[in-house]
Amino acid sequence: MLTLQVLINGILLGGLYGIMAIGMSLIWGVMNIVNIAHGPLIMLGAYITFWTFTLWGWDPFLSLPVTILALFVYGYLLQRLILNLVVRAQLFLTLLLTFGIEVVMVNLARIFWSSDLRQVTPSYAGANFAVGDLTIPYVRLWVFATTVVLSVIFLLIMERTRLGRAIRATAEELRAARLTGIPVGHIYAVTYGLGAALAGAAGAMWGMLFPVTPIMGGALTLKSFVVAVLGGLGTMMGAIVGGLVLGLAESFSSTYLGPTYPNAISFGLLVLILIFRPTGVLGRRER
Amino acid sequence: MAGRRWVRLLAGVVLVFALAAAPGVVSPFLLQFLINLFMLAILAESWNIIGGFTGYASFGNVAFFGIGAYTTGVLLTRVGLPFALALVAGGILPMLFGALVGMPILRLKGHYFAIATLGVAETMREVVYNLEFTGKGTGLVMPILRSPLPFFYLMLAILLAVTLVNWWLSASRFGYGLVAIREDEDAAAVMGINTPLYKTIAFALSGAFTGLAGGVYAYWITFIDPDAVFKVIITVQLIIMAVFGGTGTVLGPLLGALVLASLSEWLSTHLVTLAELSNGLIIVLVVLFMPKGLSDLIRQRTLTLRYFARNLREYRI
Repeated sequence: MLTLQVLINGILLGGLYGIMAIGMSLIWGVMNIVNIAHGPLIMLGAYITFWTFTLWGWDPFLSLPVTILALFVYGYLLQRLILNLVVRAQLFLTLLLTFGIEVVMVNLARIFWSSDLRQVTPSYAGANFAVGDLTIPYVRLWVFATTVVLSVIFLLIMERTRLGRAIRATAEELRAARLTGIPVGHIYAVTYGLGAALAGAAGAMWGMLFPVTPIMGGALTLKSFVVAVLGGLGTMMGAIVGGLVLGLAESFSSTYLGPTYPNAISFGLLVLILIFRPTGVLGRRER
Repeated sequence: MAGRRWVRLLAGVVLVFALAAAPGVVSPFLLQFLINLFMLAILAESWNIIGGFTGYASFGNVAFFGIGAYTTGVLLTRVGLPFALALVAGGILPMLFGALVGMPILRLKGHYFAIATLGVAETMREVVYNLEFTGKGTGLVMPILRSPLPFFYLMLAILLAVTLVNWWLSASRFGYGLVAIREDEDAAAVMGINTPLYKTIAFALSGAFTGLAGGVYAYWITFIDPDAVFKVIITVQLIIMAVFGGTGTVLGPLLGALVLASLSEWLSTHLVTLAELSNGLIIVLVVLFMPKGLSDLIRQRTLTLRYFARNLREYRI
């Protein structure tokens, strides 16, 4: 029965990792930017929710659209005004630039929100229900459901709309996309905006489960990265599968091996997958 | 060209002698700053071997630093070896580690390599955190040496050695082989370069010098713990120095270390709480306006705003 409980915990957490990683994977797949500032985007989402919750008492789930919109706008401007300037440079530079942005965001967060641990605690935060021997916290279940809904919406945007087609075309072949009249600068910015929006949504829900601090992003950047690579870059389904794999790996390892090696496990997994299957579990061959 | 090379070498020798005489003249505070500066320069130059010449962006060089520091520290305090031997081991172990870990992960390219190395460094931090003989999370305390002079000369000597290695790479068969790998690995292999061997040697060399710096650092600072010597930020710092100075050049990383270390020293005394924030801003501005580094900036005959404008336009979409 314990195993089943651990399995459920892993899956519920995995959904959250999944939507973090979809954003990472999208930005990487389309623009070849490894977004070191991904964690801070999650942090920003968490703090926005923290503010709307503590200042105005908005429900964290109902304020999700506000957080998502705010992060979309922020991401759009970041890409349009700054990242687009170096997007064609070699990988050090975009990596360093997003790192610089990360440092700036983390330190601004220290100034705005201080280094205290914050948490978003709606009245139903501790409630759970039992199915047989299993306990399932409501919040985790709703978080998981929300991540599923968001993933589906995102997949529909990517697969069924003109915008999604334009993003995919730009990722496939920049010059050809430009020749057919796609405004690539704008598309890049929208892409980053979408990635940031998903990161923000993940952050908004993160605050209900775990503490929020200015430096929470570092570890989450690494996790998003691991998950994106696990699943295979550029494939959205891959990110979701990767998220579940990481969630399960963490859940099982902390139950059966103890909590001493949390990162070693995910990174060990990462390095092994990179060596034996460089394109990820669901990945295609790289361009 | 050959003549210029020797003039430069001569200038270098003079500079080294001038630096060697520095402890007699400068204040204790400046002396500590110089030791730190030398260390950062060693790290940047070591990274340059794998990241600059070979073009493999290692984001895990701090693993070598930490392993070097811990090897020296453990041998010094737990085993009771003399410092000289402990330090040598602190160079050899990271070198072997680089060779061993390098063999599988140097098959990865680009971002994948970068993150795999980052993963290796984080894993090492956790491993050291959990090992009994490294003192776990509480760290290791070294015996205290009153005089900073040995550290000054050791750092200077290592810096000299790693700079000479970089200089050798800039004009040797082996170095050209590394550059060929950076420019086009498949073509290099077709030309008969044993690319796996070349890359592994470069990674191991980078590890050896980084480890030595770590060993000296451990004894100099007298206290190490896993979070201090396996910090990701150290890797990032040294990459920024190398990129800022100019990767794949002999003197670029030195220059980058000098300018950025001085700048951050100034910022942390004058802006205190905003130091880290300004550091981040500087990274952003450097990437935007001078992506080719200081050495490219110096090579310009006339420096105008147009240079920065051209850089800004070059990689934009």
